[in-house]
Amino acid sequence: MEINIRINGEAIRTHIDPRITLADFLRTRADARSVHLGCEHGVCGACTIIIDGKIARSCIALAAAMDGAEIWTLEGLRDDPIIAQLRKSFHESHGLQCGYCTPGMLITARDILMRGRRLTDEIIRESLAGNICRCTGYAGIVDAIRNAEASIASERLAASI
Amino acid sequence: MKPAQLTYCRPNSVGEAVTELVEGGWNAKLIAGGQSLMPMMNLRLVSADRLIDIRKIDALRIRNDEGAQVRIGACITHDEIQRGEIPDPSNGLMPYIASRIAYQAVRNRGTFGGSLSLADPAADWLTTTAALGATIEWEGVGGKSSCLAEDFVLAPYTTRLEPSDLLTSVIIPRLPGSAKWGAYKLCRKTGEYAHAMAMVIRDGARSRVFLGATDGAPIRLPAVETALKDMTLWSAPAAKTIAATCRADIAASGRDLSDVRIWQLCTCLERAIKMTFGLQEPMFGETSWK
Repeated sequence: MEINIRINGEAIRTHIDPRITLADFLRTRADARSVHLGCEHGVCGACTIIIDGKIARSCIALAAAMDGAEIWTLEGLRDDPIIAQLRKSFHESHGLQCGYCTPGMLITARDILMRGRRLTDEIIRESLAGNICRCTGYAGIVDAIRNAEASIASERLAASI
Repeated sequence: MKPAQLTYCRPNSVGEAVTELVEGGWNAKLIAGGQSLMPMMNLRLVSADRLIDIRKIDALRIRNDEGAQVRIGACITHDEIQRGEIPDPSNGLMPYIASRIAYQAVRNRGTFGGSLSLADPAADWLTTTAALGATIEWEGVGGKSSCLAEDFVLAPYTTRLEPSDLLTSVIIPRLPGSAKWGAYKLCRKTGEYAHAMAMVIRDGARSRVFLGATDGAPIRLPAVETALKDMTLWSAPAAKTIAATCRADIAASGRDLSDVRIWQLCTCLERAIKMTFGLQEPMFGETSWK
C-alpha cells in the first residue's frame, strides 16, 4: 500500500508492506537509526519518537497507520534548543552509559520539559517510568533533566533582562 | 517480534467498518490506538489477516456535552481525557484516572473504547465506567445496541460485543457537584496494569462502589454501599466495619479470589473511601501537578 508521511521535515511518498512497524520503517527506509528497538512490545521506551507533536512508541505503531502523519526523530532535532540543552546536561550529569536507551530518554525528557511545569524529582521519575535504562540507575538521568530545566530557566531569565 | 502478514484497511464510516468486519470474519480485527493489540501481534499472541483501522472515523471522535450526560466517542485517547479536552461529567475522576494509565507515550495513542472492548480486567476504564453508571453503545450487523457498563463484561477479555460489533461511544451521566470520588489502584511500578483497584462515588446517602482488576468484570459491593449510607466521618471502627462488609460482598459475589487478592482489594477500598472523606491524597499523576 502507499503512504504519504513527513519524516523530520521531509515529505516521503512510498509503498510499504502493511505489516511493517513504524520503528522498522524509520530505521530501514528513512535512515533514522536513533530509533532503537529494545523490547519491541511497548515496554522499554527506546523507540520513542514524536507523531503529530506527541510522543509515541514506534515499535507498536504500524507505518500503514501513519498516512498523513508528521514524524520527528532525534535525527531531525539536531538543532532543537531543548535537545541541545539536554545533550549537554546528559553529558555533564552522567545521564547515559551504554547509550541504548538514550534516544528514547531524550525524546521523553524533551516532552517533560515542554509541559512547562515546575519539575520535582517525583514528577521526573514518574514521567520516566516508561523508559527503561539498565546502566545508570536513573539518578544521572533525573539529575540531567532537572539541571536542563534550571539551565533553560536561567537562560530565559537572562534573555528577559 | 514483528506482526505476521496482514492486510490493512481504513474505512471512512462505522458502517464500512462493520462491513469489513463481517467480510473478514474471525480473522479480522479492529485497531484504533493499537497500544494493546500491537504488542500482542508483535509477540504473535494474536494474528489478524485483516486489520481495520478505525482511529480516524469522525463518528468515533465525538465529545458531546448533552447536559445531564456526556457522550464520548470510542476513539478519544486517554491523553485527551487527561488534558480536559473532553467535557468532564465526573468532577475530575476521569482526567485523574486517564493520567494514571500506563505512560504518556501510550496515553497519547491508546483509546477509551479500545481499552473497554479489549476488557482486560485490570484496565482502568472498565471499573471507572461501571462506577459512573455509564452506558456503552455499539453497532453491528444487527444495528445499534447498548448496555450498562457494569453488565458489559462477561469474563476476562470477553464482552457482550459480537464478532461484527464495534463499540462506538460511551454515555457518562453527569455527577452532581456534591458527589465525592475516591479511586485507588495497586501497582508495583508506575504505569503497569493494576493488581487491584477500588472506585467509590459517594453523594450523601447514595454511593456506588466497585472493585476492579479481579478475575473478570468489576465487582459491585452492595453491602458496602449500604454501610456508607450512614457514615458521616471515617474512624477506626468504620474501617473495621467496611473491611468486614467488603469481604462479605466479595464472598456473596461468588468469585474465586485468593486471600492475597482479597486483602489487596480491601486495602484499595479503604484508601478509596478515605479519599472521598478527604483523608487520603490522590496518588501522583499528571493532573495532580497543576
